Amino acid sequence: MRDPAVTIPPGTSLAEAYRIMQHYDVRHLPVVQGDMPIGIVTDRDLRYATSVLHPTPFSEEADVSQVMARNIITTTPLDPVEEAARLMRRNKIGCLPVLEGQKLIGIITGTDLLDAIIRLTGLQRPTGRIAVQLPDTPGQLARVAAIIDAQDVNIHSVLTYPNANKQTLVIFRVDTLNTRALADTLRASGLTVQWPPSD
Amino acid sequence: METRMIPVVYHPRYLDYWFGPQHPFSPLRQRMLIELIEALGYSLNPVLPEPATREEVLSVHSEAFVEQVEAASTGAPLPDATDYGLDTMDVPTFPGMDEATRYLVGGTLHAARMVADGAAQRVLQLGGGLHHAHHALASGFCVYNDISVAIRSLTRSGLRVAYVDIDVHHGDGVQWLHYEDHDVILISLHESGRYLYPGTGGIHEIGEGGGKGLKLNVPLEPGTGDDSYLDAFERVVPHALAWFGADVLLVECGADAHQRDPLAHLSLSTYAYEQIFRRLIELADEHTGGRAVFALGGGYDFDSTIRIWALLYLLLQGQDLPNSLPMAWLSKWQDWLHTTLTPTLHDPSPTQSTETVIAQNRHVSQRLMETVVHYWT
Repeated sequence: MRDPAVTIPPGTSLAEAYRIMQHYDVRHLPVVQGDMPIGIVTDRDLRYATSVLHPTPFSEEADVSQVMARNIITTTPLDPVEEAARLMRRNKIGCLPVLEGQKLIGIITGTDLLDAIIRLTGLQRPTGRIAVQLPDTPGQLARVAAIIDAQDVNIHSVLTYPNANKQTLVIFRVDTLNTRALADTLRASGLTVQWPPSD
Repeated sequence: METRMIPVVYHPRYLDYWFGPQHPFSPLRQRMLIELIEALGYSLNPVLPEPATREEVLSVHSEAFVEQVEAASTGAPLPDATDYGLDTMDVPTFPGMDEATRYLVGGTLHAARMVADGAAQRVLQLGGGLHHAHHALASGFCVYNDISVAIRSLTRSGLRVAYVDIDVHHGDGVQWLHYEDHDVILISLHESGRYLYPGTGGIHEIGEGGGKGLKLNVPLEPGTGDDSYLDAFERVVPHALAWFGADVLLVECGADAHQRDPLAHLSLSTYAYEQIFRRLIELADEHTGGRAVFALGGGYDFDSTIRIWALLYLLLQGQDLPNSLPMAWLSKWQDWLHTTLTPTLHDPSPTQSTETVIAQNRHVSQRLMETVVHYWT
């Protein structure tokens, strides 16, 4: 989440809104009255509104309130990141204003979701990668984690990809270069290690 | 004949950089290599470096990190050690760790200074290559970054540096320490971070600020053999070195891209290594006035690693390559390791890649060059 969001009041001209987007390097501006968002304007809205392709193009001095989207979809600070992703995807929108009550406290955009993927996959620290094929039944993840723990290796992230045949591919990012030793131990416990390969 | 030999920097204290008998980064590799060089009839006659000073280490590492390493070296309990990557499976702490590492750093630094001062043109540093050490983080068997300390010393004396990293792992520590440097070009060829530690080294990591377009990563597919590796090398390395025009070439000669290496998945043979070393020597002659420092690095299969580094030694010295290895050396180390060693310097044959691997590696090399050339003005 970007906090605080860059916002504009109603009455801002299209030209000024565009200049603010350029200056802050953002593409979405909530239009805010007091603390309350009443609309959102994007760089694409501005470009279309002033384009020759528009049936009745607006002048650059027009009020953003005339071109902003009014039915805005919002989220709250407690909503999980995957819910935000689902909302944006389902509604085909590029941002979600974050509200606490009626008050705008920040904004989350597609770029924030990409940052979240990078963080969730544990790629900010040097890590090795181990992929294990697990049956989709209780206790499987705990079993692998216990073996990794016994080797004194730190797990930086876990990603799970459910696939067919009631199997789940689980990707661990671990803080060791020597994933081979770990893979050997996991295999010796009867687990199906997909990466790294055995000899 | 001895007078025409190039200097080898080495100190017996390098062998103190030892994480214990179960750890892959073993100083046994240097012992085996030196004995092989001597068994082949050469006397090592090394230049003995001083350990790097604390200040020299601080040219790339944080004070807090160095304090942790120093404390770890005395066996003091360290509640925050793992925040600095210490006391982990990859970098366990051991008594004397700080000083042992400073010997390796001092060696690479000494080699670089010999070249910078004109005392030597080409130097082999028989250790180091700790390219995973970060500003305030030990990782991937590396405590202090000897390569970066040497690079910084060279750039501080006004020289422009080209660094080529052929270790199978991405040279991430070196990359982040020089990511914005305008006077350092980095080229790392490695197994793709999609599959291998440390997970970075994609073609879009090209540097920032004044360093933009000067950090080149060639991530290669698992299974890459001699043909495809050399193809990628030729598509990138000669052009980058020719364009940048460095004063000194520094090479990290990890031997773990060999097909026998247990910790990675590329499939090079010794024939590829011979060609890589020959090309790097030629490219130094063409583009850096012959000035080059070669350091060691990863390599976790004794059999292939020692033969690859023996090749490096012989090629740097301009010597003929023997076909077979000395029997006495073979039998001593076969007994020691309880294994059979390859009796010839080279592998039985070169390796090849599948069509898929060739196509993917070519594609990646081309995209990399298209990306960085944009910044080469």
